[in-house]
Amino acid sequence: MTKILLANTDKPDQASIGKYRERGGYKALEKALTMEQTALIEEVKASGLRGRGGAGFPTGMKWSFVPRNTNKPTYLLCNADESEPGTFKDRLLMERDPHLLIEGMAIACYALNCHLSYIYIRGEYEFVANTQQKALDEAYDAKILGPSLMGKDYPLDIFIHLGQGAYICGEETSLIESLEGNRGYPRIKPPFPATHGFLASPTVVNNVETLASLPWIVQNGGAAYAAIGTEKSKGTKLISVSGHVAKPGVYEVDLGYPLLDFINNEAGGIANGRNLKAVIPGGSSVPVMTAAECEGALLDYESLLKAGSMLGSGGMIVLDDTTSMPETLSVIADFYAHESCGQCTPCREGTGWAAKILKNIVAGKGQRSDLDLLLKIVDRMEGKTICPLADADVMPIRSFVTKFRSEFEALCAS
Amino acid sequence: MIEFSPEAKKRFQTILSHYPAKRAALLPVLILAQHEFGWISQEVAEYVGALMDYPPSDVLSVATFYTMLHKKPAGKYHIDICKNVSCWLMGVNPCIDEIKRKLEVERREVTADGKFSWDVTECLGSCGTAPAMQVGDRYYENLTPAKVAEIIDRLRQE
Amino acid sequence: MPKFTLNGQEVEAKAGQTIIQAAGDHGIEIPHYCYHPDLPIDGNCRMCLVDVEKMPKLTPACTTIVNEGMVVRSDNPRVKEAVRGVLEFLLINHPVDCPVCDQAGECRLQDYYMVYGLHTSEIPLGMKVRKRKVIDLGPMVVLDQERCVLCSRCIRFFDNVTGTGEMQFFGRGDHVAIGTFEDRPLDNPYSGNVVDICPVGALTSRDFRFKCRVWFLHATNSICAGCSTGCATRIDHRDGAIFRMIARRNPEVNRSWLCDEGRLSFHELTRSERVIQPSIKGSDGVQTPITWEDALQSVDQRLKQIRDANGGSSILGFGSPSATNEGLFLFKRYLTEQLGATQFEFRIDSEDKKVLDEEDQILRHFDKHPNSMGAIKLGLISDDLDGIDGAIRAARDGRIKAAVIIYFNPLVRRPSDDEAEGRIIELIDELKYSVVLAAHKADWHASADVVLPVAAWSEEEGTYTNFEGRVQFAAKAIESAGDALPIWEVFAMLIHASGAESRWMSAENVFATMTEQSQPYSRITFEQTQLPGVVLASC
Repeated sequence: MTKILLANTDKPDQASIGKYRERGGYKALEKALTMEQTALIEEVKASGLRGRGGAGFPTGMKWSFVPRNTNKPTYLLCNADESEPGTFKDRLLMERDPHLLIEGMAIACYALNCHLSYIYIRGEYEFVANTQQKALDEAYDAKILGPSLMGKDYPLDIFIHLGQGAYICGEETSLIESLEGNRGYPRIKPPFPATHGFLASPTVVNNVETLASLPWIVQNGGAAYAAIGTEKSKGTKLISVSGHVAKPGVYEVDLGYPLLDFINNEAGGIANGRNLKAVIPGGSSVPVMTAAECEGALLDYESLLKAGSMLGSGGMIVLDDTTSMPETLSVIADFYAHESCGQCTPCREGTGWAAKILKNIVAGKGQRSDLDLLLKIVDRMEGKTICPLADADVMPIRSFVTKFRSEFEALCAS
Repeated sequence: MIEFSPEAKKRFQTILSHYPAKRAALLPVLILAQHEFGWISQEVAEYVGALMDYPPSDVLSVATFYTMLHKKPAGKYHIDICKNVSCWLMGVNPCIDEIKRKLEVERREVTADGKFSWDVTECLGSCGTAPAMQVGDRYYENLTPAKVAEIIDRLRQE
Repeated sequence: MPKFTLNGQEVEAKAGQTIIQAAGDHGIEIPHYCYHPDLPIDGNCRMCLVDVEKMPKLTPACTTIVNEGMVVRSDNPRVKEAVRGVLEFLLINHPVDCPVCDQAGECRLQDYYMVYGLHTSEIPLGMKVRKRKVIDLGPMVVLDQERCVLCSRCIRFFDNVTGTGEMQFFGRGDHVAIGTFEDRPLDNPYSGNVVDICPVGALTSRDFRFKCRVWFLHATNSICAGCSTGCATRIDHRDGAIFRMIARRNPEVNRSWLCDEGRLSFHELTRSERVIQPSIKGSDGVQTPITWEDALQSVDQRLKQIRDANGGSSILGFGSPSATNEGLFLFKRYLTEQLGATQFEFRIDSEDKKVLDEEDQILRHFDKHPNSMGAIKLGLISDDLDGIDGAIRAARDGRIKAAVIIYFNPLVRRPSDDEAEGRIIELIDELKYSVVLAAHKADWHASADVVLPVAAWSEEEGTYTNFEGRVQFAAKAIESAGDALPIWEVFAMLIHASGAESRWMSAENVFATMTEQSQPYSRITFEQTQLPGVVLASC
């Protein structure tokens, strides 16, 4: 496995700029600053890097949507709102290798002609933000950031902006709204952030892991990155694995690595000698996979999609055979009901309703017809909302109820 | 008449300087206000509104969107314990019961001595070290009911 | 002008229009809650979803701009199912309040349910989200948070139209509720508009609360007579009583808005007693009732006596800026053609200046009369007299012996009104002979020689000319009191009593003559006075 993101996270004092530079840090930025901005964008395109927050949109393509001949400022926003249940990789990167993120952001800012950038960190990660801020202060002291980016006539400021407890703010337009000082209501698209983002200016929102991948890509070239992984999924991905495994944690895999191998090797297999029952491969918003469906599935975008699920954020939750699927789903449904912003009808009402029905079922007060009602509710939610949070509720509900129906029925009266 | 302390006023100016538009500073200012005043009361919303030149309805509207901004008084130590998937799989419910047993208040209620309040919260990003809870800017992970009790006792002494 | 296909028909849209706007222009209503033609687009209700070929997902018609060649369907099963789904979602937490909710009969949930829903509720009552009800938001508005469908129209109204931002969302998810800070009452002159635009019974009118079921009301198109803006309105009435007045959309004047004072101005009509019969002062100095025929005979004869003795210039015509164009036109015609009168005024308090003075940036003008501009255009001003003060002086000096005075109580009151009324009393006291046309009784009527009862606003049809010279038609909603007649009819009868030809049978007839005789009105037609009205060329 190639170590791109976790190359140094286990090394002592990696968070300090001295050690970071000693181990090769900020050389990529130096190199990037000798390149044309457009050439940098091409390099990122060639790498095949896709957004690592969950959507998987090609990063280079997203960057190329930003108009180059605009008289408005361009903004790069780092999405560190990591709130997808099962996901804890961005936290690790920021806690252990904050300068890697700074270097990646600086590269991105330079490529996009951005001079003012923000890291939107979820409010619960305040302690993480403190570490990240220390690193930023070090970068300013070292004159890497500030009026001249590493001595180049190019000012760059990076500030941290804390969220305050809203999962929806991880959606890029909601993040922008929240950064603007509003309720985090996602925006209607078009227009897209690339042309009308923060303060109606061109904006790119990238995930922490995406940005942290940039220094390696610049140092080694886009082609080298594209040589890792599969045809449609280039490079490496951080998988946060938790649940009923022996060795939960954050691991870096070459994309295309078999899912079951990952569970049995890196994650140490199912804990306590139990058996695998189901896997949620990419955060609670993706369809659950039965143990059988995991056979032959690879950890990449296209293979998991074919297997009926998604790579998402790579927040893998492993469920053993003691798990009650209805109860698990009820916990998940509660999450979406709580986090729905409330702006549009299907999500606002549908998430709440579905959560209540599931609570009833788990309490033994449900009917069999409730299961069909749940499936109807999710059909009425899917694809009809302003943002994909509704769809993120649809995926688990539909997959759990369909694939583990007998467990649900067992809890219901006829 | 509530007012920011001199340090908070300075911090307020620094916050404003980070943004090209004043409105963008609203959330950080609300965070600052919560640090100063403990929770976002109507009075605090009016004060922040006057400071930022927005109607208090607008300020409160923004505040009520974000879970971490308290809409009623909180304890000196507010415990947020995760009830999401991985924490639930790894046994958070007994830990929640332990909190209830130790503090003897319902969710979002403050103990008589004003020291504690608690609530359940969503995924904290500690799934690999679940169950987890947060108090202020500290995470407590790999919880068991015993550990929870110990943490509460320790905080009680502080 | 992009051409596109809507439900199989080829339709031409205006450049930049959204699907919902283009559809509306061609008589196809796409169901919606949050969209409003006079508010910024929000796209949150998801009710207006339509199927656009080549777009994988259904898209909201209110956010999608028409492109040339688009193929759109709002009527296929996919759309109908989606719309029904949204409606179902809106209804799951909606309280079953219809029996006690004022909105019933004009409620979009009810209306769309009958078209798209007709489903049985699948949520038990105990599972519904509960919110607060009957929240007092001040003199105009009552809030019921449970009924709200969170369309945000009211929020957008206060954010964008009044700029006061009182109403906002509080909370998140399905517990979001609209409200004001600390339940503070709405404190701006336009708060009543949110009742009009609320598609459900969340925001209802305190004034109209529980007074009448809307299906018992008759609707009449009118123009507000509260000030010189001339907002288009609709009067809802039943059995001769007005229950409420709401806005009619006139993009040229008031868009979809009314000010609160204007909205409630109809209450002034019933605030005091009406003059119901003509009366004449006898030799004992007491007003006694008399028939119309006798009254008009007497008036015409007496005025002619004064004319013969002192000349036509000794008779003053003091019109009212609250009278219709038709009324003022025949008023002037009778006095000039039958009596040779040359002096006309209507100004008590600089109405000719106030007519253009904006009281705020949104709608209101300082001049609380609907037809000052009409009075000006019809020539009811005298440079010599320069308002009522000059008239009083002239009367005192004996240059004016008699006057025919039209006086209406303003429908939107100001502290200076009593003083204004006092000037009329002063004028009458200086006159040898006065004829007063009024709708409401006043003590000072006793000083006049003849009092004639006339129809008030909403009791006759006619046109008014607003501050910008826009002539707009207001229909008759209710009957006037007793034997009161429209002003134009009084003067038509006087002209007849005077022995001249009098063929006018309707306000429209008078309007036609007015366009022949009065230069400012010469280029307009009666049809043009319908919405949005027509602006006089000389303005």
